[in-house]
Amino acid sequence: MANQPRQPAANNTQKSQPLLKISNLKTWFNALNNNDADTVKAVDGIDLEINRGETFCLVGESGSGKSISALSIMGLLPKDVASHPDGEILFYPQVQQNPIDLLTVPEAQMRDIRGSQIAMIFQEPMNSLNPVFNIGEQIIEALLLHHPELSYEAARQKTIKALTDVQIPNPEQRIDNYPHQLSGGQRQRVMIAMAIACEPELLIADEPTTALDVTVQKEVLLLMQELQQRRNMGMLFITHDFGVVAEIGDKLAVMHKGKLVETGSVDAVLFNPQQPYTKKLIAALPHNLKQHKPPQPQLDTSDNNHLIQLKNLKVWFPINKGMLKQTVGHIKAVDDVDLEIPRGQILALVGESGCGKTTLGRSILRLIEPTSGQIIINDTDVTNLNRREFRPYRKTLQIIFQDPMSSLNPRLNIATTLTEPMAVHSIGDSQQQRLELAVELLEQVQLSPDYLWRYPHQFSGGQRQRIGIARALALNPDFIICDEITSALDVSVQAEILQLLLELRKQRGLTLLFITHNIGVVEYISDETAVMYQGKIVERGITDQICANPQHEYTQKLLSAVPRIAA
Amino acid sequence: MTDYILRRLLLMIPTLLGITIVVFAVMAAAPGGISAASLVDGQNLDPEAKREIEAYYNHIYGLDSPPAMQYLRWLNNVSPIGFEFDDNAEIKNFSFTKGSDLGKSFRYGRPVAELLSERVPITLLLNTISIPIIYIIAIAIGVYAATRRGSQFDVISGGVMLALWSIPTMLAGVLMIGFFSNVQYWHWFPTGGLSSSESGRLPFMPHWGSLRDVGVFLLSIANATCLSVWLSVQGSPKFRAIVIALIAIAAAIVMALALPESSQSFGWIILLPITLSLLTVPIALSDYAVLRIAYLGLFGLILGIAIAMHFTQGSFVKGFLFDRLWHLILPIICLSYGGFAALTKLTRTAVLENLMSDYARTARAKGLAEDDVIWRHVFRNSLLPLITVAASLLPSMLGGSVIVESIFSIEGMGKLAIEAVQTRDRELVLSITLLSGLLTLIGYLLSDILYAIADPRISYD
Amino acid sequence: MTDPMSENTQDSIDAATAPAPVTMDNTFAQRALHNTFKRWGARVGLLWIALLTIFAVFAPIIATSYPWLLSQKGVISSPLVQHLSVVDVTLLIAFVNACVLWFLPGSLRQKILIFITVISISFIASYILIKPPKLTIYEQYRLNEKAGNIDWVFSAPIPYSPQDYLRDYGDTGLEKPLQASNRSHWFGTEENGADVLSRMIHASRIALAIGFIATGIAMSIGVVIGGLMGFFSGKTDMIGMRIVEVFEAIPTLFLLLTFVAFFGRSLYLMMVIIGITGWTGYARYIRAEFLRLRQQDFVQAAIALGLPLRSILFRHMLPNGIAPVLVAASFGVASAILAEATLSFLGLGLVGEPSWGQMLNQAVRSSSFNWWMAAFPGGAIFLTVFAYNLIGEALRDAIDPYLNKS
Repeated sequence: MANQPRQPAANNTQKSQPLLKISNLKTWFNALNNNDADTVKAVDGIDLEINRGETFCLVGESGSGKSISALSIMGLLPKDVASHPDGEILFYPQVQQNPIDLLTVPEAQMRDIRGSQIAMIFQEPMNSLNPVFNIGEQIIEALLLHHPELSYEAARQKTIKALTDVQIPNPEQRIDNYPHQLSGGQRQRVMIAMAIACEPELLIADEPTTALDVTVQKEVLLLMQELQQRRNMGMLFITHDFGVVAEIGDKLAVMHKGKLVETGSVDAVLFNPQQPYTKKLIAALPHNLKQHKPPQPQLDTSDNNHLIQLKNLKVWFPINKGMLKQTVGHIKAVDDVDLEIPRGQILALVGESGCGKTTLGRSILRLIEPTSGQIIINDTDVTNLNRREFRPYRKTLQIIFQDPMSSLNPRLNIATTLTEPMAVHSIGDSQQQRLELAVELLEQVQLSPDYLWRYPHQFSGGQRQRIGIARALALNPDFIICDEITSALDVSVQAEILQLLLELRKQRGLTLLFITHNIGVVEYISDETAVMYQGKIVERGITDQICANPQHEYTQKLLSAVPRIAA
Repeated sequence: MTDYILRRLLLMIPTLLGITIVVFAVMAAAPGGISAASLVDGQNLDPEAKREIEAYYNHIYGLDSPPAMQYLRWLNNVSPIGFEFDDNAEIKNFSFTKGSDLGKSFRYGRPVAELLSERVPITLLLNTISIPIIYIIAIAIGVYAATRRGSQFDVISGGVMLALWSIPTMLAGVLMIGFFSNVQYWHWFPTGGLSSSESGRLPFMPHWGSLRDVGVFLLSIANATCLSVWLSVQGSPKFRAIVIALIAIAAAIVMALALPESSQSFGWIILLPITLSLLTVPIALSDYAVLRIAYLGLFGLILGIAIAMHFTQGSFVKGFLFDRLWHLILPIICLSYGGFAALTKLTRTAVLENLMSDYARTARAKGLAEDDVIWRHVFRNSLLPLITVAASLLPSMLGGSVIVESIFSIEGMGKLAIEAVQTRDRELVLSITLLSGLLTLIGYLLSDILYAIADPRISYD
Repeated sequence: MTDPMSENTQDSIDAATAPAPVTMDNTFAQRALHNTFKRWGARVGLLWIALLTIFAVFAPIIATSYPWLLSQKGVISSPLVQHLSVVDVTLLIAFVNACVLWFLPGSLRQKILIFITVISISFIASYILIKPPKLTIYEQYRLNEKAGNIDWVFSAPIPYSPQDYLRDYGDTGLEKPLQASNRSHWFGTEENGADVLSRMIHASRIALAIGFIATGIAMSIGVVIGGLMGFFSGKTDMIGMRIVEVFEAIPTLFLLLTFVAFFGRSLYLMMVIIGITGWTGYARYIRAEFLRLRQQDFVQAAIALGLPLRSILFRHMLPNGIAPVLVAASFGVASAILAEATLSFLGLGLVGEPSWGQMLNQAVRSSSFNWWMAAFPGGAIFLTVFAYNLIGEALRDAIDPYLNKS
């Protein structure tokens, strides 16, 4: 897909017709106390133009104002907080000669436009559908709202057709399902069905695939592209993922701090960025980082050099049902896994959500007790050690977490966070010495020593993640599990953290188990890769070999689904 | 689902056992405890008679046996299956059909089951009338406040509800009964009980002596109500406020003059108009039309009744229905205001949370009008926490009944409970505990089932 | 096991070694308190509670039949000082101590330590030293004055003790406020002839003490049981939840009634009883918080770092889970005060000592309605409950991260 030349849109003559023209749009959030200094200029004067039948991608890091721009178009921002001091959003509907300024149009007319002429899809498929109505009711509601002439039965038929269009299997039965009975990908399909049911001219998609697994993302993207071309819709596609942009976009605008930094065709911006910010952003993609990867140490991968060995490891959770809550089955989160990690290696553990990779990681640290099997650390079986006996091993095994917001205790300052474990494990003779060690740690993760006395809420996500790394390093461990540590971060921050990890590995000879779903990151950082699927490890090998020549069916599917920027 | 209900019903048994054990342990562990001596204590009897009575109590209630034995015996009597005893208190056989026996009250000397069957319906009547009132008011105000978060209405209603919630029931009850039932002030309502002494002889429906009176009655009520409803939807807030204030002041002066001679004082002429204006003017100023119509309509209705009462001369027979209603008004107000105050806060929070949810945004993006978003999408989801609370509302209302019933001398279960603990009536205390526990647990179960019906995500398989 | 990390070294990190706070919103607790008392509701509530505290502490000075100063045949004496009880003196010292400490520099921990030491010393000292006369005849001062035996007298603003039944005035039971011109009963008299205002001021002690101590007891029980349930889950949790359910299925008031009716009417017993019947809510909150926190990454990190259980529970989990409990506690104080008032109102309260609820009970005695007995004590109950609820609500809004979002 990635390397195919993009198909020209079905109708070239229509393509130049403008559909939406935003000029100098400003969206400000007013502070409650009417103090100008507290006004947040979320969108600060953007201009863009979307043509009929064109996919326009709006890319930016979190907080750049891209979602706010979309909500401004839809008029969905709360009126008492948000204001538009300047700008206009001109919408050119097919049936009407004159464009409509969406910022000044009366609310009643805006309601008619919303959903029927401009539709929107949101990021979180889990929460975007009303949990107490079945999906049919929710789509029919939209249809009947904009087409009051339809009978209920006709609307239902149209809904089934829309569900068929988005490739929901058995739409006749599925229409009566509740959202919680569908998978994440199916819910996003339902959202798309709801959006296109009234045949809008413009579809706004706000990170529609971010919460989905790669393979599902691929399917949804293909579906959206197909629908968009078939119906000749205009599409405003908001994302933070350049890979997705390369797959789906015609035009691209990069947004930063409420302003558009660079606009142009996708190919032009991706391969020949003009602005420094865009250049930096594109250089930070793992794919591009790889070209500047520092040389990595040679490893001894012989059998007697294994730091961690897992033998037949199983973590099963019982399912209890019935009157007496008897166990009727098990969720096999980790099912019979054998894994060896040689000293000094970075092993990537790849898999989609729910495949058991996090459970596997945590069971190595015995944060989750394994059901059966063996965990061998340095040739010692630690599976059945009790709390006290296991404590010395805690020093060697550490973990860094995904969510930088919740991984630090909000009530403790950084000094306490770092020195408490040292004291417990008798590292450093006095508090003073431990504080010195803590300063050293902060320097190693490239943070200023003054941060020692601050509290977690005073840091950004990237800084917190660095503190998380410092905490893991505090005990001088040999082995660190990195559990999706970059997935909550922006690309540029992700690049810094990855580089830091490689640096630390070299300095300290760390062994890392790098758990992630992001293939780009895997390719950049890891020596070897293990692919996990439904609780089992299906493939294991040198990263470059697996990426170039995947053996297992699932690995092939996974790799082909990764959106890539064609070189 | 059936499995689930069965499971829950079975789980009730240990809980009920626990409840009765706790209460029994409290009674048994107390100094004096449950003994014949403590029952007789305080009665002015000569020692001989005292001993006789003690022996009698010991014989029929088994008060001289150890507490654990007493509890087990009570349990055996209450449970529908258990041992049967012969006259010599020897175990005869194990029976599955013996039926349960709640025993005999010490104080009343009557079977507990009989006492309860008289008292419980009264308490349930009070509660079943109050609960819908609580919910309607809470939802009407809570939803409106949530949709206008931070507005004047939100702030004021929040403050008023918190204040209402903080008024102790006994204060409200005492003030109401003092001012509105007492002959010293306005003797509008009965001082207590659930019906007048002559109510047994009354026909069910109210009727008037002459047709003219009926006409006058209906006419004045209809006029006053329509007028105030019309006023509540008309004109500018300022106009409404001024007119309502004038009516309120006039009514207040009439009220002040209606006081009996002994209580008339200059203070009333000042205090009453201020109070009545404070009760009406803020509502008239509010931008919430439904609330205005309902509240001012009610105000008009009361005014209409008052005027009608003044002009009809013929004999008016209240009828059983009217009589009962008359007795119920004050207790119901006392029982419900705290509940709706608490529930309003909860409704507001629940609606607020759902208003900001992703699916509400989806609904708006579909082009739904805000009202439809609120009432179709948001409200249905906000109902879920309200259903959960319904369960815990019941025990607190049973508690509230204790106070209300004792203030308004209503012979319900709450009053019985006070009498039971005061007279250390073992059988009665345990049975009331068991019953209120059972009612509460059934309330919990019902609310869980309702929850499953309202929320398709919950299934008890 | 080596565990050199003592509590003290930790706190020295927090307090002593740290440079002066960079910004005012330094710790979570400070931010929460700041947010709470930014709201006028909380300020009004706090003001009323402060006023009540002052009344409670100075009650024996403000409202007493004993003259402050008295000159009898040239001898100047202070009957007031002679009649102060051990509790009165201890409370006064505690109050002055707290005021002084408030303005002195030093860490909170030190202040609390000093406070507790001073209180204990002063209590023991006054217990040994102070022996107020057992028999008191309130009327003697008024009678003496009437008889002209006194040169001059300097009396309290409310010159009636709560138990001064004004026998020298004849029948004064249930007198309306300011009815008789020769004695100024601002809030009238109760059925035995005692001054209502004086009784109310003295009753504020009971209200405050019951509120704090009963809630403290309930909270301690709830936090321990709930914490155990939440951290160990599994069987402990199941058994704990059954116990919670048992206590929740009995209407609290009914359980209270049973307790009080069977156990008698002492102030301390009442506090314990209200505490024992009210812990379930706290247990639920703490349990839910602990179940949630156990899954949080920072707790998982603490486990992975091999920190001892004590530290995980009390340093990492409890401070992060206590906020909803504190909110509940401030509502709990209100309901404990209400519970005492209700029991007293139902005639099951304290016998000798004045209490707001018991005064309210006299409002509808014997078919006549004594409005001052309802309005003033009832109003005091209402205001106090309202004040705590206002503070509780402000606290909840300040702590609730969801409401802070926008």
